[in-house]
Order: sequence, then C-alpha cells, then structure tokens
Amino acid sequence: MAPIDELRILVPVDVSDPDPTRLGVLDLLDPLEVVLLGYFPVPDQAEPALIRSEYEDEAESRLRDVAGGRSDLTEVLVFTHDRETTIDRVADQYDCDAVLSVREIDDIGRILVPLRGDVNIERIVSVTARLLQASDATVTLFHSVAEDADESYGEFLLRGATDRLVEFGIDEARVDWEFSESGDPQAEIVQLGGEYDIVVLGESEPSLGDRIIGRVLSHVVDELESPALIVRDTEPGDEGET
Amino acid sequence: MSVEGGELERTLGFLEAMTLGGGTMIGAGIFILPGIAARNAGPASSISYAIAGFVALLAALSLSELATGMPIAGGSYHYVNRALGSLFGSIVGWGMWSGLMFASAFYMVGFGQYIVEPVPFLDGRGYVILLGLAGLALLTGVNYYGTEESSSLQNVMIGSETAVILVFVVVGVFFIQPGNLDPFAPAGAEGVVATTGIVFISFLGFEIIATVAGEIKNPSRIIPLSMILSVVLVTILYVLVMLVSTGVLPYGRLADSPIPVADVARSYLGPAGAVAIVLAAIVAAISSSNSSILAASRVIYAMGRDGVVTEWLNKSHPRFFTPHRAIVTTSAFTAALVLVGLRVDTIVSLLAEAASFSFLVAYSLVHVSIVVFRRADPGEYDPSFSLPTPLYPAVPILGVVLSVVVVTQMAPVIVLVGSGIVALGVLWYAAYARTRVVGEGLLREAISPGPADVYRVVVPVANPETQRGLLRLAAASAHANDHLGEPELLAVNVVHVEHDSSLQNVEADRVDHQRDLLAAATEFADEMDVTLRTRALTARDTGEAILDVLDEGDADEVLLGWGGETSEGRPVTSATVADVVANAPCDLALVSLRDEVGAAVGVLDGGPDDVAVARRTAEFAAVEDTTPTLVVVSPDGRDDADEPGREADLVAEVAAAAGRSPEEYSVEVLDGDDTRAALETVLGRFDTVCVGYPNESAGLHSAVERAVSTVVATGGHSVAVVRSSPDDSTE
Repeated sequence: MAPIDELRILVPVDVSDPDPTRLGVLDLLDPLEVVLLGYFPVPDQAEPALIRSEYEDEAESRLRDVAGGRSDLTEVLVFTHDRETTIDRVADQYDCDAVLSVREIDDIGRILVPLRGDVNIERIVSVTARLLQASDATVTLFHSVAEDADESYGEFLLRGATDRLVEFGIDEARVDWEFSESGDPQAEIVQLGGEYDIVVLGESEPSLGDRIIGRVLSHVVDELESPALIVRDTEPGDEGET
Repeated sequence: MSVEGGELERTLGFLEAMTLGGGTMIGAGIFILPGIAARNAGPASSISYAIAGFVALLAALSLSELATGMPIAGGSYHYVNRALGSLFGSIVGWGMWSGLMFASAFYMVGFGQYIVEPVPFLDGRGYVILLGLAGLALLTGVNYYGTEESSSLQNVMIGSETAVILVFVVVGVFFIQPGNLDPFAPAGAEGVVATTGIVFISFLGFEIIATVAGEIKNPSRIIPLSMILSVVLVTILYVLVMLVSTGVLPYGRLADSPIPVADVARSYLGPAGAVAIVLAAIVAAISSSNSSILAASRVIYAMGRDGVVTEWLNKSHPRFFTPHRAIVTTSAFTAALVLVGLRVDTIVSLLAEAASFSFLVAYSLVHVSIVVFRRADPGEYDPSFSLPTPLYPAVPILGVVLSVVVVTQMAPVIVLVGSGIVALGVLWYAAYARTRVVGEGLLREAISPGPADVYRVVVPVANPETQRGLLRLAAASAHANDHLGEPELLAVNVVHVEHDSSLQNVEADRVDHQRDLLAAATEFADEMDVTLRTRALTARDTGEAILDVLDEGDADEVLLGWGGETSEGRPVTSATVADVVANAPCDLALVSLRDEVGAAVGVLDGGPDDVAVARRTAEFAAVEDTTPTLVVVSPDGRDDADEPGREADLVAEVAAAAGRSPEEYSVEVLDGDDTRAALETVLGRFDTVCVGYPNESAGLHSAVERAVSTVVATGGHSVAVVRSSPDDSTE
C-alpha cells in the first residue's frame, strides 16, 4: 500500500508584497508536485479588476521570481478580496492534497504532526508519509489528552498512526511521540511548533460560528512561527469539477 | 500561468449579496421617512412604500436579466452604456454617482438626527449636520485605509438591525388602533404617488448587487435570487413598519417627529424599545452609507474602464490599494450636500427625492436597454436569467411608465436639479467622453435589423495588436465583395477559460478583449468603409467557439492567421486552427502575412479550391489596387502544351464561378518544362501568393506544394492557403 501517489501541495504567496517570501522550501518540496498560488489581496473598496489593471505585470514578475525558474510548477495568479476563498477554490481546482502556509524555511529536518481523533487522520498520515519519503526528516506525533479522557486512547491513536507510517516504508526510528495534558491543545501546538521545521495539521470543517468569527485553525496557523502544511479535508476533485 | 494577467476571484456568496442589498436598503429610508411620508399621505403612505417596492421590483427583474448576461462591475451604468451608447452611459453614470452621493448624504443626516434627538443636551440642526459630517469623515477614513473580509461584521450589523425591526413589527401589530388608520388617505391618490417619489430611496440598494456583479459567486443564480428576494422582503417589511407606525400613533404626531419609528416604539415597548430602534437606525445609516461609497467606487471604476471619466480618479492607493481618489471625491461632494442642511429645512426629503430621481431615470433607461439587447441580440448576450414571455415586454414597459409617473409627481425643484444632472451628463459626453470612448451602443442594430444581403468576413484574432495586418486584410476582403452584399467585418476574439468560471470574473476579461478588438479594427473598417462588428467570447474550446460564430453569423468567408510553417507541403497550425479548417462551413483562408499585401497571384490547378483562390486573389489585389493575376498549372503538375487554350478557358470558367469577369484578371503562363522552377519564378515576382488547400491524396499538388514551400521558406511573401466552402466543393 502506498501513500497518496502524487502529493500535490498548494503554496500560497502574497504578491502584493514588493519583496515576497523567498521560497527555499520549494527546493525541499522538489520531489512533490507544487501549485504556486500568487494572490493579491484586494480591499473591499476596490474592484479586483481595477487592481489587476494596475498591478498585473508586477504581480506576474514577483510570482516568477518566487518560482525562481522552476519549470515544473503550476503557477496561478489571482486578485481576490478573500484569501481563504481563493485558496480553497484553487486547491479544489488543481486537486491539491495540502496547503502550505509559508514562513521562511531552509530545511525540513523535524516534522510535528498533532493528531486528534478526526476523520481526516488517514489523509494526514498519508501526507506525512509522503513528506518523510521525500526527505530525511524525523517526525513527532503529538496528541493532547483532554482532561477527562482516557489516556490510552491517545496511545492507541499514535500507535495506529506509527504502524501506518511503517507500512508506508518509514523506518520506525524516525517516528517519536509526545503527549500533553495541559488541556489547551492550540496553545500547546503553537508553543511546540516553534521547535519544528514544519507542522502538519488537519483542516477542520468550518462551522457556522467559524464562518462568522473565522476559523480556529487559521488562528493556530497565524500564530505558528513555523510553516504549516494543512491537509485538506475534502476529497479533492469532488467539488471543483462541473 | 493560468490566465493572462491573473484571475479575478468572485468572493461574495448569497449571504453577502443579501446583506449588501438588504443592508443598504434598510437604512435611513425606513427610520426617518415614515414621518415625512405620514405628513404627505397619512396612513396610505404604506401604499406609497408598496408602489415604490413594485417599481423597484420591476427594475430588479430587468437588472437581473442584464446582470446575468453581463456579470461585471458597474450595474445600470454598464448595461445602458452597452445598449444605448456612451451618451446615455454618461447620463446614467453621472446620475448613479450623484444619486449615491445624495443617498449617502441623506443617510448621514438621518444618522445625525437619530443621535441628536434622544440625547437631551444636544439640540438643533447644527448638531445634526455636525454629527452627520463626523460620521461621514469616519466612513471616509475607514474606506480610505481599506477593509478586508469585513463581511462578518456586516452580517452581524444587518442581522441585528433586521431583528429589531422584526420585533417592532411583530409586537406593534397588537397595538394598532383602527381609529388611527381613518381617514386612510387624507391627501388622496395624488399624495400617495407624490410620496412614492420620496420613499423610493428606501429601495436603493438592490442595485448595489448588480453594481458589484463582477465579485459575486455563481452570478447566474445568486444575482437574480438575491436582488429579487431582497426587494420583495424589504417591501413587505416597509409596508408593515408603515402600517404599524400609522396605526399606533396618529399620523399627525408621526409627521412632527424627526425620529418617528423610535417614537412609535417608545409608545408600546417603552424606553428600551426606543433605544433599540435608535441604535438600529444608527447602525443602519452607517452600513447604508458605507455600501453607497463602495458602490460609487464601482460605478466610477466602470466609467473609467470605458473612458467616460479620467483614469486619474481610479488610480489606487500605492499602499492600501483602495481607489482613494474616487472615495475622497465622493465623500467631498457628499459632505457638501450634508452642509446644505444647515440652510435648508427640508433637506431630508430633498436629498431623498433627488436620489430617487437619479435612480428612476437610470432604471427607465435600464428597461429600454433590455429591449435593445433583446432586439439587437448580440451573440455574447446570453443571460441565464431571462424574463419569460408575459413578463417581457410587460416588465420593461410598465417599468418605464411607472418611473415616469413617479418622476413627474416630484417637487419642481427636484425635477430641476435632476434634469440639471442629466444635462451635466450630456454636456460631459459632448465635451469629454465623446472623443475618448471606444465602442458604440447597440441602438442602431436594435432599430434596423440590417440589410438582407451581407457579405460577411469573419476574422478570429488572438491578439488585436499583433494581428492588425490580418484585420486590415479582412476589411479589404469584405470591401472587395461589396457587389455581393453590404460588406461586413466580424472580428472575433475567444478568451480561453480553463475551468468552470462561476467562481471567477471572466466577463471582465471578455470586455477588455472586446474593447481592444474594437479599438484595433475600427480604423480599418472606417478606411475600407465596411460595417464592423466585434465579438469577444469566453469558451473552454476555442475552435468550437469560432465554428459556432461562423455558423450563427452566416459567414461568407473566414480568414485565419497562420505562422507560415509548412510540413511536407501542408500548413502547420495549432490544434484549434486545424479544427476550424476541418469544419468551417464557409470559404476559408489561412494567411501568413508579411509586411505588405502588394501584388497578388493565385495558382489555379483545376481543383476544388480554384474558385476560392480566384476570389481571394481578387480581394487581396484590391488592398493596394493592383491587378489580380492567375497562373494555371495542370492537375498533375505538368504543363499541358497540347491544349493551348486551356488556361484561358479555366480562368474564364473560374472567374465566372467567382462572380467576376475574366477581364479583371491578368493571366501568367508558365514557361519551360520544369513546372516547379517556372512556378517559383512567377510566384517570386509577386508579394502575395494564393493557393488551394493541399488535398489529402499527396502528389496531386506536389509541384505546386513544393514551389509554394520554397516561396514560403524565402520569407518574403505573404501566403494564403485557401479552401472552398464545403457547399462549393461538393459540386
């Protein structure tokens, strides 16, 4: 059994920034398929077409700079009021398995994978396996135990995930575990994440509340100092096509 | 890169569209105007709201069809500009912009009233105006710096103000005293209609959905749904609010209040009710005014795009990316209008009526535009929401009639001011826009369906700038056939879209391309005196889209650009062009253009394409007024010396079939035994070479093909490879 055959990652970059993030990470992801999304945030006050007419050349050349002459990238440039909507739409359209939130990154040595008992766990583990195959990194599986929960559940979860990684051909020595009982998994992830090169997170289905106040996940991602690879929940391709 | 220059995300969903439309409408209009409405029409003012709502619904229906046909920024302005040309476009554009200023000023005065009245130590009009200006300054500041993804805040604001009004209505129904509703219409029908003009401003807002149509997801579904639904719901709400207000308090008492709805609420919900209404009114005024500023910047953007106003206004802020000049200009005029309130008592109703006037004029023209679009039926107009038969033409006719009726009942000063703004639009067009805009309306096509006999040359161009030569040649070809029908050049540009486009604004790209096309082709159409039509389309399959145009447009010939590459004597083209070549229903020419067309020669070989070759040669020669030349080779490539008269016979026959006299052509005779060498020598003397399309069975054209390949390879010639329409070649 193989992990996701072609792991395709969406890498969004803000191209309104005159000096967009240098993406050394693209070289690290080289064995993977990358869709590079240059988005230009447009304020509510402006029609996106207006901003495009003024900035299309600059945005295109910035995106090309970020791509740095890599020919195997798919490049997409979008002018949008809403970054999240655009990331979702483009990820669907290009069947991306995960989204990378970009920070400066030079090396994928240590990977943190917080796991809850969510339905998405299969995909998170597959993506992690693919990432491990493409690098020499080690991975820490992390579970935050809820106060009143049975501790053995977390162990069961991480054991299962480890077994699955081994099935994918990952040396068990590259995998270790960490538990926490602080009761605040988000703060824990943000704190712990700083010690790792990249954090692999599952996407959570937005609830009504999320739609009004914004997703919890995006807070975690924003606060993390390391880049985060957000594994998408939806089976890619089931919405984007018509 | 996915799309040239980048994609444009559509980000507004149904909820956002509803809060934008509904939130703009539910504003000062319902919190302030019930007092004025009650004074003018008594309890029957609820009927004024119903009539205004009906007029708005008619406009929303017509706008829905137009907006789904052209989901792009600008709303009414864009549709009128497209349909009726830039004179009416200027009128509506300036009307909408000034209407939004009037409305915004009205909301801000209402905002001031609702703060000043309940607060004991604030008194007098000065404070109302001051607070209105302060609110406006705040909004201008926020919009200058720009907001992102603010829809959630908007949702909460609109949600709570709607909830307050619902409680007001639902509870208030039980406090209605039937005695207050009698007499129902003290001012008679005239008062009711006159009041309609004032309260119509309460319905401005559904149009904002059309104005931001370029940013709405799944526009074909969400635009009509949210526009019509928001108008219907808001109308019901207003009628109920008015009934409750006039039913709870005698209309005479309502009339004296600057914050009528809060007074009504106080009478049965106590001070808490009044406070809730006051807060809702303040929030409503802010959100309505805010949406008006957003809408104004879209209208100005659309006008700038068409060259009706200077692009200077649309330059975005280098750091905030907001159209700060447009925002500040709008706010400055709005502030001036608010200031008028210091001097004028009845500022509230004047501002309301002036805004209503502007938009009623705009909507009348929108109703006319839908008729124009239906009659002219430009190929790219394919609205997903189309008014069904009894509604069309009933909606546009009724819409114009009712708009005119309401406008004529307005105060004379308003009619004067409104007409002044219309006159300003006309003057602006004459002085500024006329010479700068690209494109004409569809009015002429709508009035006269066009001559019966048209000779139509279709020319698909990928890039109007680099393919000017092709456009010029196509115009000349149409002109050279003016004896067969009214010559017409149809320039086509297909914008390739990779995916389902309901989440991206590809209409903006389409309009850009259409304008480029028009700008590039107009010159040649004028020079050659041919009718110009342009079609820009979006399609996933470019070849199929071009073939559709050829079929629908009843084309006589199509010219396609070609790089001039050949492989084994056959032209090398993209898959798209190959598709068109294989399936074109009319004469077709693949043209590889060099610097000039110059002297043209056609090669006749007795094959099926000879007639088309003769036609094209004559057309190309006409570009620079030279004599078309034909050269005859025998089918197998050998010169048939046995039949000395053969050349003349073939030329006569072909010329007749091409509808021309043999005398128009000069005939070249091949010299010597080696056909290929002789042909190369002859062709070498000309600038443009026309040959038939290489047949499937190789060898038939081989000598010609090889000669042509050599000529092509020298690079000095323009070459056209011609194929007859399938109808001809089967003969």
